Amino acid sequence: MYRQDGHDLFVIDGHMHFWDANPENWRTKYGESWIKCFYAFHSSLSPAEEVWPFEKFCRYGEAVLVDDLFRNGYVDMGILNSTYLYEFYKNGFNSHSQNNVIKTKYPDRFLLCGSFDPRDEAAGIDAFRGMMADYPINGLKLYTAEWKDGSRGWRLNDPWAYKYLALAQELGIKNIHVHKGPTVYPLSADAFDVHDVDYAATDFPELNFIVEHVGLPRLDDFCWIAAQESNVYAGLSVAMAFVHLRPRYFGEIIANLLFWLGPDKLCFGSDYAIWSPKWLIEKFMAYELPDDLKQEYHVDLTLDVKRKILGENMARLYGIDVAAQAAILGRDGIGAKLAG
Amino acid sequence: MPRNVPCDFPPGYDGTAILQRLERVLDPELDESILHLGFVGALTVRAGHADVALRLPTDWCAVNFAYLMAEDVRHALLTVAGIRRVTVRLGDHCAAAEIETAVNDGRNFADAFAGEGAGSLAALRLTFQRKGFFGRQERLLRELRAAGHSPETICALRLGDASAENGTVVIRRPGGTPVESGPAAVLRRYLERRAELGLDCAGTAPLIVDLDGEPLSAERLEAYYETVRTVRVAMEANGSFCRALLSLRHANAAAPP
Repeated sequence: MYRQDGHDLFVIDGHMHFWDANPENWRTKYGESWIKCFYAFHSSLSPAEEVWPFEKFCRYGEAVLVDDLFRNGYVDMGILNSTYLYEFYKNGFNSHSQNNVIKTKYPDRFLLCGSFDPRDEAAGIDAFRGMMADYPINGLKLYTAEWKDGSRGWRLNDPWAYKYLALAQELGIKNIHVHKGPTVYPLSADAFDVHDVDYAATDFPELNFIVEHVGLPRLDDFCWIAAQESNVYAGLSVAMAFVHLRPRYFGEIIANLLFWLGPDKLCFGSDYAIWSPKWLIEKFMAYELPDDLKQEYHVDLTLDVKRKILGENMARLYGIDVAAQAAILGRDGIGAKLAG
Repeated sequence: MPRNVPCDFPPGYDGTAILQRLERVLDPELDESILHLGFVGALTVRAGHADVALRLPTDWCAVNFAYLMAEDVRHALLTVAGIRRVTVRLGDHCAAAEIETAVNDGRNFADAFAGEGAGSLAALRLTFQRKGFFGRQERLLRELRAAGHSPETICALRLGDASAENGTVVIRRPGGTPVESGPAAVLRRYLERRAELGLDCAGTAPLIVDLDGEPLSAERLEAYYETVRTVRVAMEANGSFCRALLSLRHANAAAPP
């Protein structure tokens, strides 16, 4: 909960990770490249005093995460964006089963994302049903750029992706987080092209598609699609980080998103542990859209809009009653301690 | 002329031409000169052989874009009088060996990276030339609007109505007073890209045209501007990442071991 001027803002971190990038878990040199690439984003865009040693960044563990999100970072709930990368990491980077360890300890604090890979075709259907049956899966995280058996990626409108999306919907899934963001070596830039979201969003109008990282740097393509499709939402992680180093540019991104999508479709995410919610949220709450941008775009980043972005929009997507959930969280181990 | 490029030339060699050509090589995604971005780490010329050490922001900059820049450097420098051979080096880049071998041998990307689903670089280049057109045009439109020109005036302007005088764009319309309308570089960059895309650049052609070379109506101008504005902001995203990552690399290089 973030408190400002007597107002309580319920915070859902729509994009966070509980990853294991310890060298023992690297399967190939790409396991190392991957986490070093993340670390470069962390080091170059975080305030200097927030930069971690590389060793801690590889594996920070549960206690650090709980402190950084819930005790110090204003976050009420986090969405575990499971990411598998089995070709790079022996046990996966942060699979749903790895993530479920922390979800089990704090069931009301986390929403757990599962996933599917359409390249598994028919052979993966049973495993997908098994995951849905065995784990408390709240949403899906899809990673179209993931490597598999020589393939460098897939698209949301591939025939087998549609079969999995239909099955997910049948099994009660409502929200699909899709990673569309900056190129992360060694993944291919083309696999992050956002146009496939357009097809899937049209053909699955009952599902919501949260485009993580707002397609950056393909913000323009994302805006055209999200302005047109009522079920396409903006996941703000990565974009958030600019609030520190490039505040003017951050304002331009927010102004464009508000202009094309409006205030009800933007959702906060930290991409923890690349960046930490505490400083992101503090700087975001202190941030005011420059007057010239307000005038040019006819939008504003008011306290009400910030409240929507920080939690209310995502709560609506997941059917969370903010007041009731806040009451529940106030009584769990973390909440009781914060209140005391 | 950009500074901070360590150059090693033979005694008496005038490096102006070679630096000018190098300056015109762009990072296609950022639509900015690789010299201004600090991507050129060193330049050596010896007996008609130019050796260029590129220094991209990270070791994992996208391979296709890295290839494009390396290839553009080679082509650019081979047009300089007296340069007969060009060697481009990529330092610690993850695909340095493959890119250097292919580019320095004059091979194309699809052959060098067959099996990676790499595809043609020509399509990629065109996509970013077109995005760059919008980005450059947005800056010009912004200046024209800020100078007080109405949508009707902006759409009626001919290319010959705009001129660069003492570093400033001056708009002269028949019967009207001249209006200063922003930095000359904004107009120059727009016209350069317009010419590269093969659009009509005659003095009688409309100043503001879309990618098909069609003029805009005053009614359409606002919606068009809202669109190109977002393209420009999107293009700056990667520039922001690149600058942040490049400054980190420089800071690390400067730090004692």
